[in-house]
Amino acid sequence: MHNRIFGIETEYGLLIKAEQPDVSPSWIARRIIEHLFGQKKHGVIDRHYRGHDEPPGNGGFLLNAGRMYVDMGHLEYASPECHSLWDLVAVDRAGDLLLQDCLEDLGLSELVSIIKNNVDHETDATFGCHENYLVSRDFPFTYQGLGLLMPFLVTRQVFTGAGRIGRARSVEGWIGLDDIEGRGMARSRRSTEDAVIYQISQRPDYIVNDFFEWVQHNRAIVNTRDEPLADPERFRRLHLLMGDSNMAEEATLLKMGTTGLVLQLIEEGHAPEGLDFDDPVQTLRAISRDPQQQWMVTLSTGKTLSALDIQEQFWEAAAKRYAGQDEETDWVLSHWESVVKDLRKGYQAVVGRVDWASKLWLLENFREAEKLEWDDPWLKSLDLEYHNVDPQAGLYHGMVEEGHAPRFTTNDLVDLAKHHPPRNTRAFGRAEVIRHLANKPWPDLDDEHEDWQHRRIPPYVINWSVLQIRGNLVFVMADPFRTYVQESQDYCAEAASR
Amino acid sequence: MKSTFDYIRAGESLERKEQPVDPLSRPSGPGNRDQGPKRPETDSPSRDNLMKRMRKVDPKQAEKYRQRTGE
Repeated sequence: MHNRIFGIETEYGLLIKAEQPDVSPSWIARRIIEHLFGQKKHGVIDRHYRGHDEPPGNGGFLLNAGRMYVDMGHLEYASPECHSLWDLVAVDRAGDLLLQDCLEDLGLSELVSIIKNNVDHETDATFGCHENYLVSRDFPFTYQGLGLLMPFLVTRQVFTGAGRIGRARSVEGWIGLDDIEGRGMARSRRSTEDAVIYQISQRPDYIVNDFFEWVQHNRAIVNTRDEPLADPERFRRLHLLMGDSNMAEEATLLKMGTTGLVLQLIEEGHAPEGLDFDDPVQTLRAISRDPQQQWMVTLSTGKTLSALDIQEQFWEAAAKRYAGQDEETDWVLSHWESVVKDLRKGYQAVVGRVDWASKLWLLENFREAEKLEWDDPWLKSLDLEYHNVDPQAGLYHGMVEEGHAPRFTTNDLVDLAKHHPPRNTRAFGRAEVIRHLANKPWPDLDDEHEDWQHRRIPPYVINWSVLQIRGNLVFVMADPFRTYVQESQDYCAEAASR
Repeated sequence: MKSTFDYIRAGESLERKEQPVDPLSRPSGPGNRDQGPKRPETDSPSRDNLMKRMRKVDPKQAEKYRQRTGE
């Protein structure tokens, strides 16, 4: 897509289906990482400390140039850099299948399910699906510039939300006013929880700020951390953590594609103005929880309109300027218009394309067939199962199988994306070096016979914009739009000759 | 719509291109990509295997999930 590099970081949940006190999600995550890099050799494992909580062996870079690792006890997959949205949807799904394949290889698929969602209904834990958009260093990273993005982000959940039953009782360290207004906390929580049967997005309950730079606490609609992972004089990376993990391919394409176009509107000074909210965080939450799905909001000007109206204004601005820009832009514009129009007809019109609608449709039908109340725990279990990445079990995949959800990639392409990088970004150059290293025999991480010098200086260090093989110069890949084809091949040849 | 993985599938896996590549022609036929938005059959999932999948789900599995907060 025009002038953009995209990436997605997904934290997965691990459901242990049987009561086995000696098996924990983090133990399963470690076994998968060991299998992925040790036995299957689908990449090269880290042999150095990337941080105090990322020791050698914690994860590694894959043959597709993405990264698989354990973060705060969760398996996390960071996709390789993609210039094409179609590559992005393929590599995103490839990450799911790399993990599912490992589970099956290890004989653990009966015991464990890999769940691509963002909440635990019981503990209220949350984990993310972060989006990355490469922008120019000239992008207006100011309250004014990013403020133009806010109304789009707050309202895009109508087609990007993954849906969930209920709400989080409280965010860690965050006590709502209704909890301290003199009523008993348990009673208060119960009453507010009961008030939300189903909401369209999983993350709004955990977003408490509009702008903030950290990711684990005080989560914000726009994360302002300045970590470009590229030439800092030319680029910035917009890092968003307020979105949900999507199962529907159309939802992934629209989430990333529409956001990319709105960033372009801001970069070029064409974003719609006058759509500010007094309280974007509260508006984000109110839209998600609206039981009538009318999504009416009040702007700072006092004007009332719907989230769909706001999306339509952004679509109009983008269509006016960017129609015909390239094939992917045209696809995004066409499907963006279509999904907003169809949402006006009711959620049934977007089943299969929008995750929250698909899940609601499944739950409604099941509830009716089984005569269940909305607070029946079976429905929460089905909510999770929608996100099971196993094609043989997951409910989203069941919808695909039955023809209820359109595909925009193919199984063949996803298989290729497990072990090949996108061909038109720097992921390509990184993958060349990873393949070179993966073909070499390396001592075990805890090999006591490896000499002191080699333990002190790791044999290789790989990162997003820079890497080094021991004994060679540092190889810098500062421009994510370049493939570094020749340089990476020369670098590997030079390393092999030493 | 283009994906650079199309080029690998087309047997060009050894060719290294520096610039973004042109799209191959899109595969045709049912089940392939970019059929455009269409409304799925939304009457009820009860006629197909979806209901069977749902009934197989352990009603208590959400209680076993036990994740920790991430990021």
